[in-house]
Amino acid sequence: MIHASISKHLHGANGDFQLEASLNIAEGEFVALFGASGVGKTTLLRCIAGLEQPEQGSIVVRGETWLDSAARLNLPPQQRRVGYMFQDYALFPNMTVRGNLEFALRKGTDQKRINELLELMALGELQHRKPDSLSGGQKQRVALARALASEPRLLLLDEPFSALDAEMRSRLHDEILRLQKHFGITTVIVSHDVSEVCKLTSRVMMMEAGRIVQQGRPVEVFSAGQTSGKFRFTGEILAIESMDVMFSLTVLVGNQIVRVVAMPDEAAKLHVGERVMLVSKAFNPMVLKLEQ
Amino acid sequence: MNRLKGQIVAIDSNSHLSLVDVAVGDDVFTATLLETPETADYLKIGSKVTLLFKETEVALAKNLSGLISLRNRIVVTIRSIERGDILSAVRLDYVGNALTSVITARAVDRLQLAVGDQVEALIKANEIALMAGHHDD
Repeated sequence: MIHASISKHLHGANGDFQLEASLNIAEGEFVALFGASGVGKTTLLRCIAGLEQPEQGSIVVRGETWLDSAARLNLPPQQRRVGYMFQDYALFPNMTVRGNLEFALRKGTDQKRINELLELMALGELQHRKPDSLSGGQKQRVALARALASEPRLLLLDEPFSALDAEMRSRLHDEILRLQKHFGITTVIVSHDVSEVCKLTSRVMMMEAGRIVQQGRPVEVFSAGQTSGKFRFTGEILAIESMDVMFSLTVLVGNQIVRVVAMPDEAAKLHVGERVMLVSKAFNPMVLKLEQ
Repeated sequence: MNRLKGQIVAIDSNSHLSLVDVAVGDDVFTATLLETPETADYLKIGSKVTLLFKETEVALAKNLSGLISLRNRIVVTIRSIERGDILSAVRLDYVGNALTSVITARAVDRLQLAVGDQVEALIKANEIALMAGHHDD
């Protein structure tokens, strides 16, 4: 069980506010902190890792106190048994992949851990390469392996995949799920990607202005207030063309271009560049599995 | 998009699906939804809802006999027919409500549809979406 209660004054883009968050995370749980930029997600994570000091707070991980501001107890980051992974790899450029992992190893830990991680993450062939020669996805896998090298009690991921393309992101999601299960490690991810949160975590905590305002099962939290049985996408109109008795609308949805038909009276109210919502019944879309 | 204003008169649901009966004038329309009263607040007997269905989902029939699985059959009068090369837009009057059916030009010929004809409009229950409240646009 992990309990953290953090209070810290923050300077936001829209003025100062107070980070006032309390979380309880079960052993082995994978949870997400979700919210817009600047609501305090990263600060909360950094406070847990010991990289920032809250004005008040307490952190207890598996019965071990990492922080108790009332008792003036504050373990430094290196004693907190935390694996931390950022968006920008932060690998040591002058060290090999193996060297990066070894550096993170706690004193007295067996090299076996490194070999296990290299094997688990299929990094064996890259172990003697320097970060410069790796792709973004490979660097992030090394960063993940390094975060796990110190046998952390808690894995903290701060938007770790946001710089990667969708395909690589999806592969790393599978990878992280596998590792998270393999090591049974309690994990907190900061994300503002709905699909990522739904895929990876069993609980999401929504943050607004320094506070956790809502939490629950991701699919339930995200679909609250919306009509759930509808299939909807927002997009931007790229073209409106007359087509027989109807009109064809070309719409950019995400990075895909789709065409839908509309009646003349509907098309007359729309113009190119306008944002629209495409709605369909949940029954209509046919589902095709993508080639792996 | 075709719109009709109605009121929910019955709801049949299991854990995920609902069959919702909506009274529009003297007719009762049925919509199949992937929602339940637990997930959607507006699914209550007596709630005002707007039925939405796309023009291309409205089939037309003349002298239809026999059994058909389709739930929603209404009597309509043809107000106008706009012929295209492939498709045609058939404007309909349904007890004072304007509806449109887009069918193939071939079908217009085959059924020998003409302005003033009384025909049946058919809409599958799973093609009807419900929106809470009454909306004109």
